[in-house]
Amino acid sequence: MLAVVGHVARKELRQILRDRRSLVLILVMPIILTFLFGKALETGELGHIPSVILNLDGSSESNRIASAFRTYDEVLIEREVSTLTEAQDLLARGQIKAAIVIPKGFLQQIEAGDEAQLLVLLDGTDNTSAPIVEGVAQRVIQRYNTERAIRGLWERGVRPDRGRRLIRPVFVQSEIRYNPGRQYLGYVMPGVIGLTLQLLTVMLMAITIPRERERGTLDQLMASPITRLELILGKLLPFFGISLLNVATILFVTDRWFGIPVADRLPLLVLLCALFVLTSLATGLLISAVSRSQFQAVQIAVFYVLPVFMLSGAYAPIEAIPDYIRPISFLFPLMYFSRTVRAVTLRGADLAQIWPDVAILGGFVVVFLYWAILSFHKRVN
Amino acid sequence: MPLAIETTNLTRRFGAATAVRALNLRVRSGEIFGFLGPNGAGKTTTIRMLCGLLLPSEGTACVAGMDVTRDAEAIKLQVGYMPQRFSLYGDLTVEENLDFFAGVYRIPGRERRRRVANTLERVGLLERRADLTEHLSGGLKQRLALGCALVHAPAILFLDEPTAGADPSSRQQMWDLLYQAAGEGRTILVTTHYVEEAERCQTIAFMHGGRLIGSGSPEQCRAEIGEAILEVDAVPVMQAAEAVRGIAGVTGVSIYGHTLRVFSRMTEGLEGELDAALRGREVVVRGIRSVPPTLEDVFMSLTRTAPADVQDA
Repeated sequence: MLAVVGHVARKELRQILRDRRSLVLILVMPIILTFLFGKALETGELGHIPSVILNLDGSSESNRIASAFRTYDEVLIEREVSTLTEAQDLLARGQIKAAIVIPKGFLQQIEAGDEAQLLVLLDGTDNTSAPIVEGVAQRVIQRYNTERAIRGLWERGVRPDRGRRLIRPVFVQSEIRYNPGRQYLGYVMPGVIGLTLQLLTVMLMAITIPRERERGTLDQLMASPITRLELILGKLLPFFGISLLNVATILFVTDRWFGIPVADRLPLLVLLCALFVLTSLATGLLISAVSRSQFQAVQIAVFYVLPVFMLSGAYAPIEAIPDYIRPISFLFPLMYFSRTVRAVTLRGADLAQIWPDVAILGGFVVVFLYWAILSFHKRVN
Repeated sequence: MPLAIETTNLTRRFGAATAVRALNLRVRSGEIFGFLGPNGAGKTTTIRMLCGLLLPSEGTACVAGMDVTRDAEAIKLQVGYMPQRFSLYGDLTVEENLDFFAGVYRIPGRERRRRVANTLERVGLLERRADLTEHLSGGLKQRLALGCALVHAPAILFLDEPTAGADPSSRQQMWDLLYQAAGEGRTILVTTHYVEEAERCQTIAFMHGGRLIGSGSPEQCRAEIGEAILEVDAVPVMQAAEAVRGIAGVTGVSIYGHTLRVFSRMTEGLEGELDAALRGREVVVRGIRSVPPTLEDVFMSLTRTAPADVQDA
């Protein structure tokens, strides 16, 4: 059996190597795709969000608040503007993401005991920046309120340290343990790697049997005593080898161009990538076994590859997917792959912590291959 | 002589259409068996069932003593198949194709190299061994396909139109190779459109509308034709054909250059009737003679006299 598998593999490899144009595409496309996807999704550090302040009150209190905003790294107060129109105009043109407006009569309202308000104008089209600025504003005001209460007590003869004990303010102290810059790239890169590996392997494998069918060579093969397992393993092996080359280049690109640490966990990452490539090859073979023509195979492959990216948590957490759709996510190997690679690259997880997902990926390989073999018939009924 | 192939009521349907109906075929071991019939007669479907590529809808077939439904994979080791359509890898060289198919038939390393070298020489492609298959001419491709079907030394060869579209000299070479294979004791089942190729077979079977409508040696087939054939030399030939078609008992008329071939169920007195009919139409008759049937005549005659359900198919 192994001899025949090797024989088919050698024939496939010869055909791949002989088709120079496709070969170049197979080897170069993953690098370009990883680079492009990575760059497109690289949002950088979520800080220094360009903002302006409009201080219409000009009082000591409003100045205090305005300067408090400058102490947070998340926002970058580019300058102070003098009219609301100017602030709105900058926001409309997308030059700033937020405008902090301290209305006229701010101090007066505070002293009158009314509820004074700080207005934050946000660009809602950027749904990552807006909540960050909002959070900063909340923290500024919380701190300001506490300090003002202490000052109020001090004016009534209570010493600030005693005043603080009276008020007992509580602050939230958050500490980010993994992915400290909270970079989106760190989150999305495992998905990008998986998507790139999957795109190519599924497509290439999907057309292999229909291509033989269209060229007529499948007839000659089916008239021979070759078994389905021999044929399918023989077709899988060379593409597995080529995909491992792709894994190497993609990991290199990820490490060098995107600064995602790969070297520390290289053996584990290579294992995960290899396992994932096998699931994709098996998926492709399954599509191949059920497709009548290359055109049909490509159609099915596209309908598989596209939703996978959206539904597998590669791009946004699966928790963001509605409950009734989320179970579908668990059907895609890419979900487990991006989850474990993220655990490894961002949290430094080792095999002991991720083995369930590794086992599931292994399960996918076995099930898809078996399914492919069952769907491929040497005889027409 | 033992039977290499035997079918009993072999039937294959595709949806509502019946491609092969209740076929009873007996092919003796070591003979060249010719399968004749128009396109769509069911020849290819029959071959695909015998090779184990297609399951019969009804009936049974034994190939090399094994049942095609139960032992298809075991049969595959014993048979070589050359499909109608060229089906080798165009992006592999001649030698790589042979090597691949030898390997797929589980022939181990050293023995495989020997077989590939022998086959290359046998089919006359030794000098072209390193050429990409897609660069070969049609005739050479057919020889390579035969080589690939032969490389594992099968007991039975199924050749589906191995000479389709080939020039006469390529056809001659192909037939020399077929005789050589038959000389080695292999059974050959070959389909063809060319009636002159049928003459080269030891047994021929005519298929039409999925049914076997006649079989036997070429001599038997010619002897058993149920119609008389007259060759009529007359001018103008078109008017002559028209006149002859109107005669009762005449079943068919074909024009060959300046002569007509007239088929008739009558054997006595036909010449006189023909002569009379032609003279009445101002046709100059230069001669009428009775001629022995060719296989083409046999085939045309069998096609006309086939049962009605076959005619419809």
